[in-house]
Amino acid sequence: MALEIKNLTKQYNKHKTGLSNYSITIDRGILGLLGPNGAGKSTLMKIIATISKPTTGTLFLDGEDIVKNPDNIRKILGYLPQDFGVYPNLNAYEFLEYIAALKGVGGPDLRKRIDMLLDGVNLTADAKRPIGTYSGGMKQRIGIAQALLNDPKVLIFDEPTVGLDPEERVRFRQLISDLANDCIIILSSHIVSDIEAIADEVAIMQNGTLLEKGTQPDIVKLVEGKVFETILDSQQLNDLKARHLVIDTSRQKDQTRARYITRDHQPEAGSIAVNATLEDAYLFLTHTKA
Amino acid sequence: MKYIYSIIKADYLQRTRSYSFLITLAITIYAAYSFVPPPTASYTTLNVVGYKGIYNSAWVGHVSAMMTTIMLSLYGFFLINGGIKKDVDTGIGQIIATTPITNFGYLLSKFLSNFFVLLTISALTFLISIVMFFVRTSGSPFIIGDFILPFLFFAIPALFTVSALAIVAEVFLGRRLILQYIIFFFLFGALMANVVGHKSSTVNTFIDTFGVNTMTNSVKDKVNTQYHEHIDAVNLGFTFSAKHRFKTFEWDGISWTGIFIASRLMWICIAFGLVYFSSSFFHRFDFKQAAGKKKKALAPANISHTNGTFAAGINVSLLPPVVTDYSIFPFVKTELLLLIRKGPKWFWLVNGGLWISMVFVKLDIAYAYLLPILLFLQVTRWSELATKEVTNRLHYFTWSSYKPLQRMLPSQLLAAFTMAVALALPVILRSAAAGNIYSVFNIINGAAFLVLLAASLGIVSGGKKLFKILFFFITYLITQKIPLTDYLGALPHDSPIGFISIMLMLNVFLGAVSFSVRSWQVRHL
Repeated sequence: MALEIKNLTKQYNKHKTGLSNYSITIDRGILGLLGPNGAGKSTLMKIIATISKPTTGTLFLDGEDIVKNPDNIRKILGYLPQDFGVYPNLNAYEFLEYIAALKGVGGPDLRKRIDMLLDGVNLTADAKRPIGTYSGGMKQRIGIAQALLNDPKVLIFDEPTVGLDPEERVRFRQLISDLANDCIIILSSHIVSDIEAIADEVAIMQNGTLLEKGTQPDIVKLVEGKVFETILDSQQLNDLKARHLVIDTSRQKDQTRARYITRDHQPEAGSIAVNATLEDAYLFLTHTKA
Repeated sequence: MKYIYSIIKADYLQRTRSYSFLITLAITIYAAYSFVPPPTASYTTLNVVGYKGIYNSAWVGHVSAMMTTIMLSLYGFFLINGGIKKDVDTGIGQIIATTPITNFGYLLSKFLSNFFVLLTISALTFLISIVMFFVRTSGSPFIIGDFILPFLFFAIPALFTVSALAIVAEVFLGRRLILQYIIFFFLFGALMANVVGHKSSTVNTFIDTFGVNTMTNSVKDKVNTQYHEHIDAVNLGFTFSAKHRFKTFEWDGISWTGIFIASRLMWICIAFGLVYFSSSFFHRFDFKQAAGKKKKALAPANISHTNGTFAAGINVSLLPPVVTDYSIFPFVKTELLLLIRKGPKWFWLVNGGLWISMVFVKLDIAYAYLLPILLFLQVTRWSELATKEVTNRLHYFTWSSYKPLQRMLPSQLLAAFTMAVALALPVILRSAAAGNIYSVFNIINGAAFLVLLAASLGIVSGGKKLFKILFFFITYLITQKIPLTDYLGALPHDSPIGFISIMLMLNVFLGAVSFSVRSWQVRHL
């Protein structure tokens, strides 16, 4: 199973471009989308989810044109948008029944499937209460449950860990990993560690374009040998910022520990080389390639 | 004062930068155009039995101002209502609550923002009235004061009053929208009934909220004096009649007396006073304090036992296999459920009472009055028929589902139509029993019209307001027996088949608009 995107452009108006000539091939497994706000992640996800039409370009799922025939992917799509809502007057069970109807899922085992999903996201005890009374984390969990209702083969999660506490995030990552064997999973997050923990491949975006795509080791390799740490005072820190890309600072009494990336492999005196991470690579790419 | 200005400005811009406001303006332009009908028109807007004023500055200026005042007072409430609710829904209210602004300062800014929204619309009708003067008259002198003063003395105080009433309704009735609408419906009717037909007196001048009495008395006196008549009734509003022959008279407008101007100032002061009074009861977005026991029981603090994380996780391989079912009946069921659950449960007692009344009262009363009122009382249900997925941010799911246009929208229409027919059932069955098959068709057609109007206006405007305003207007005019708005076919029509055909065509048109616009929307989020 593969999703092939070619030369996709989304022009909202004369001055606003969501995606610009974007091409990518997404295979089975987990693709993590990273990028600053306005990079085009949500636009890309909406186009794949068929709720936004590209201005130009093509999108094929196993050779099927998704732009022309959106219903083909809709049958096997699980989508968790960034800012979704619920009908507050429905309870969790009724809400999932409704989503099941939307997805065309029925049959005698539907009730059992909903029960198991609710149990899986720990909402069984609250299944009969109106969703309007749920906390943010509970709503997010019901969002995750709805995405799995139709046994999806393409799963799109836009900022799925927002509102989840640390333990829930870990659980969510496990769930995603379990699903990845026979699905295409596209996951966007501002939290690099979420992507780092589960993504097979990473795509880094900015201003509607793809900066880099590859496996995590491939991406990290781009900044290997360029990441250093040093301890300095505030004046030196300003000088360091002028010469290098400072990606993190932490205060230590009167001094500051700074982590930075050098473009020319020439570190400041007294610096020590450290292992590069996905976050280093992400910041390096979005600050230098734009 | 500067911060109040900033709030008014932000609130005003927020309300006016919407499609529904643009559509409202478009409708206003048409309405203002219709205030000054051509001589051959089958209706008048100010009618003294058998007599018609010659179009001059005074006539065009006063009639336009008065019609604007009444129309805007009627639908303006629906247009501006909900300013505080918006702050609650967006969460802005909680930020406002933590600022130094006083309750009165906040409500005053909302009140003035309400007023400026209505003033914008009335300014448009003012300009169109001048245009219409030049369109409809030839050779009559243009006197600008005949246009400015009626707008100043009729429209402005009324707009202040309606703006204040919207604040009072929100402060005291909170989110109970339907109750607000009902109370306003009857209050407006009472204010109009109070003045129409009364003889001039100082007291009547003061209690005349809209200034209608002063104007109609002046027109009536002119006709009675000129033609030695004893006419007592003057109809203000759209009066339809096939009669085209009228005696004419030239009316030079109202002499603005000190008492009349004082009465206008009094209504403006009452409006400010109402806002000041309301500020003592304003919840300041503290809902724990304002909420009843039921709300407290649902507070997140009391559901901590369920706030746990994923229990055992989801083992996808153990889930029962998926069986596909693309029928629309599960949708219809949920849509019906959503329609039924909208609003407070006790309101079904009111509906039930009216429904049972329709079984027992005279059929023509049930048909002409109770049924349109019962259908209007469900306005909050109809208005969100095709907007709720967007307002609840559920459209991401619905529009990315399998064949959303072919399954989702028909289900919503079908559910609402089922409910409308169920509500109308006593009148349908009684009409059928009385052998009046046309009425049965008309009611079913009318139910479809209501549902399609709600859906199409919601889809096109993206909000509920436009439908609410129009539906209120339609219902009010039905109770005034205006044939043009008789969507249920309760009034006699020249050709029953023609009426049914027109309604059918309207329904087809509204259905086509709904489907074509939604078809575009589902792919252009």
